[in-house]
Amino acid sequence: MKKILVAENLSYKINDTKLFQNLSFSLNEGAAIHILGSNGSGKTSLLKIISGLTKQTKGEIEKNYNKDICFIGHKNALKQYLTVEDNLSLLEIEAHGNLKSFLQLLGLDKLLDVMVANLSYGQQKKLALLRLFLNNSDLLVLDEPCVGLDKKSQDILCTFLSDELNAKKALIFSSHISLDISAEVLQLDKA
Amino acid sequence: MKLLKFELLKLRKKSRGWLGPILVFVLIMTAFPLTVEMLNKDIDQSFLSVLWIATLLVMMLATEDIFLEDFNDGTLEQMAIKHNSLSGVITIKIFVYWLLIGLPISLLGALYGFGITSSADLAIQLIPILMITTYIFLNVFSFGNALSLTKGSILGILITMPLVLPLLVVLGKVVIAINLGMNFLGFLFLLLGILSIIILVLPIIISFVIKAHLE
Repeated sequence: MKKILVAENLSYKINDTKLFQNLSFSLNEGAAIHILGSNGSGKTSLLKIISGLTKQTKGEIEKNYNKDICFIGHKNALKQYLTVEDNLSLLEIEAHGNLKSFLQLLGLDKLLDVMVANLSYGQQKKLALLRLFLNNSDLLVLDEPCVGLDKKSQDILCTFLSDELNAKKALIFSSHISLDISAEVLQLDKA
Repeated sequence: MKLLKFELLKLRKKSRGWLGPILVFVLIMTAFPLTVEMLNKDIDQSFLSVLWIATLLVMMLATEDIFLEDFNDGTLEQMAIKHNSLSGVITIKIFVYWLLIGLPISLLGALYGFGITSSADLAIQLIPILMITTYIFLNVFSFGNALSLTKGSILGILITMPLVLPLLVVLGKVVIAINLGMNFLGFLFLLLGILSIIILVLPIIISFVIKAHLE
């Protein structure tokens, strides 16, 4: 089984606050890791380290994948003053073959001409998740993907993620809402 | 090309982002001859000084949220992950701002030059100077705004002012050269040289600054 990610003795601190120390884990293709921890334990920082946005204070992280990472963070990367259709074009997914079916599935197909500012938070989250649903990456990094989603959308997300894992993609995510996905738990505690 | 198209779409749809600075420029340049004695012969000479200062202020205004919006909504995060060269993204972003704000202001400045001085030669001479100057100002103020991304624009202005002052000195020399009917091409090449260095260096520095903010 190909190892997509190998982290050895990762430590991270912000100023003098140590968030986690000597964290080691590996992520195989087709496997998932669920990061758990209290607020401020470093879940988002760890996901940012994996995405390459932040550098760890100590330790090594070995990445072994071919395509870009699909990273969905707290911020939706949507332009409030543009329509849903314009935002799809900015997300570079406007020509994707499966776009129409996902728009219908998420109930966004009739909102293409609507300004994102006029969408509810949940609808904006679903629009941002289209980047995940239409991704072409080996590694999916999700930070609290269920926030703002209704039960139906959460189920759609879980089904999608299970399918992605079956397709040999690797997933690492943090979520306070339990997801119906088989995942190894990585507990972060304040150092 | 895709990135250029996206940046154009973003700025074009955000009309206050590009139209606002242009209207401020029009306001200053229209107000200038109205607030001085029209028979004053010095109006031609002071026009260029007002033009440079108006250009400086408007470029400062135009770049106020050049990175802030993308930073706040997570677009910069996605760009940093997706694009290996964040400096390339920044170069394109600044170019789009120049295309939609700097270029119209250069042409409007030349038009005002013709309107106020009635000199077609001066208007034509102003176009390349303004085109280069606006591009330099945009780069420098973008750097300032990147530095003060999460700390308010005042800090950025304070940091970039010392960088802009030498440029204003060169522009002052251009005014003297034009008023005395001297050849100002040397100054034009000097500005072009400054621009070449700035285009190559500043986007790289800005990309490091933005990456530091994203951490």
